[in-house]
Amino acid sequence: MTLTVARQMIGAEILKVRRNRGVIAFALLLTVGVVVLLYGYVAIQHSSNPFQNEPAGGTLGMHRGIRDLGEFFGMLAAVLIGAEVGTADLSSGVFRDLVTTGRSRLALFGVRLPAAAIVTLCLSAAAYALVLVATFVFADGTPTPGLGLILQGAGWIALANVVVVALAVGVGSLTGSRALTLTAVIGWQAIVTNLLVNVSSLGSARNALLTPALTQIMPLNLGSSDHPVIMATGVAVVVICAWLVIPQLVGAWRTRTRDA
Amino acid sequence: MADDTAARHADHLGMPTTTNIIETRGVTKRFGARAAVIDLDLTVPRGSAFGFLGHNGAGKTTLIRMLLGLTNADAGSMRISGRPVPEERAAVLARVGAIVEEPHFHGHLTGRENLRVIAAVRGPEVRGRIDGALRRVGLLDRADDRVRTYSQGMRQRLGVARCLLADPELLILDEPMNGLDPGGILEFRTMIGELTGEGRTVFLSSHLLDEVEKTCDAAAVIDRGRIIAQGPISELVQDEHNEIDIGCDDRHAALDLLDGHPSVAAAYPTPDGIRVTMAGIDGAAAVNARLVTGGVLVSRLEPVRESLEQRFLEMTSRVGGQA
Repeated sequence: MTLTVARQMIGAEILKVRRNRGVIAFALLLTVGVVVLLYGYVAIQHSSNPFQNEPAGGTLGMHRGIRDLGEFFGMLAAVLIGAEVGTADLSSGVFRDLVTTGRSRLALFGVRLPAAAIVTLCLSAAAYALVLVATFVFADGTPTPGLGLILQGAGWIALANVVVVALAVGVGSLTGSRALTLTAVIGWQAIVTNLLVNVSSLGSARNALLTPALTQIMPLNLGSSDHPVIMATGVAVVVICAWLVIPQLVGAWRTRTRDA
Repeated sequence: MADDTAARHADHLGMPTTTNIIETRGVTKRFGARAAVIDLDLTVPRGSAFGFLGHNGAGKTTLIRMLLGLTNADAGSMRISGRPVPEERAAVLARVGAIVEEPHFHGHLTGRENLRVIAAVRGPEVRGRIDGALRRVGLLDRADDRVRTYSQGMRQRLGVARCLLADPELLILDEPMNGLDPGGILEFRTMIGELTGEGRTVFLSSHLLDEVEKTCDAAAVIDRGRIIAQGPISELVQDEHNEIDIGCDDRHAALDLLDGHPSVAAAYPTPDGIRVTMAGIDGAAAVNARLVTGGVLVSRLEPVRESLEQRFLEMTSRVGGQA
């Protein structure tokens, strides 16, 4: 597969998601919409009673925005987009027609993650831009982040979103069902992981969970105090790499062996 | 002539100019204990419109899926345009357009966007064929509407447009006339004629036997996973009993005159005359002379020609009876 073909195929995958109004609307709501709502709400609270409520902006506000985009709502948007990209061809029945072109199944699978990641990162970037604007506009005299922290925040959000979108693409390609993928990935990340993190009897086995690993390398590291699982940065990197690669291997295997 | 055109087209595409575009030998496919296709030998001549006939579950779609590499054969060999599949499926399928069972699309995309998706997968040179393909199937005016608003017939035509993006030397169409109204079927038949006229081969599976008879040059009949007949349509529908219908003014006199005639094996009355089963290939002229000299006025004398549908039902029920 040439670079031109790969670029065209990624473009086609992006087209499929971009033209799905429902998915894009929800993903926008979970990224840009959530930032507007949360910062707006905190800003109103602060302006109504500055002594009781901290300002929406500043370094602390930015940290809140980074966590929202990397761990919570941005994660949901990434799952939504990843599930759509991972299952669109299968659920519509077009996968068979793509296979009959003679293009290898691995190539068909291989363009899904880049496409899903591009769409997710575009939305996250827009939302993060709003976070930064709010960080400075609503700082109200509190410390504001420097360029290094801003870039670290962007990198961490990108990493967190790409790993989650890879998980959703992999599970989507495995199951072929969007509903099942959404349920499984959101359920795992939002519910099961949070339960397991708090089961202390699991000990260091909890290091294998994605969320604690991401939290470990989060900029400012303010989040680590919220999580009972602390691990070495090297371990966190290995765990994150595993969560990035293993779902892709599983998805690729299923795409290659699936009866079209 | 058609063979020459087909060979030129294949040569232009850089493909081997074999006489037969599809050849299968001993192909077998099992799903658990059930054999879907058994020891199947099929030969499809290049440049023809070839009908593939069979009841539901006879094995038509299974064979198509194996040819396209959607599922593997358990035994046997398959060649498309002289190349083995699935070993060289990527190169072979680059010049094959196919609709399996029914065409599927992304409903939220327009017709043009759906073709863009396939064009992206096929290669950079394909995108320039999109408008031409849409024009050819009569969908250019609706190309920018979402596919979910298309009728079944429009989806079928968009499926053919998607096949044409490959500039195919072989089109494999599985039940392509499903959902088409009579006008659509006529258009489709015309289009298949145009495609074969360009040297392309159309491999068409269908339940609409009458349409296959009108559309195709040759056909194969599959029943319970086995090919039970294949060849030119004219040979498939040939009356093996060698019967002739005779229109005459006096049926009883005609039957009396032909009783014991050496060219006549049997004869019986029909509403407007008699039907005669000939003892040999020739003899119609002698029968006619016997009737005329005997004073019977003969208004019509024509060989009985069975429809493909009648032959199909005969063949498949015969096999069923043996089972």
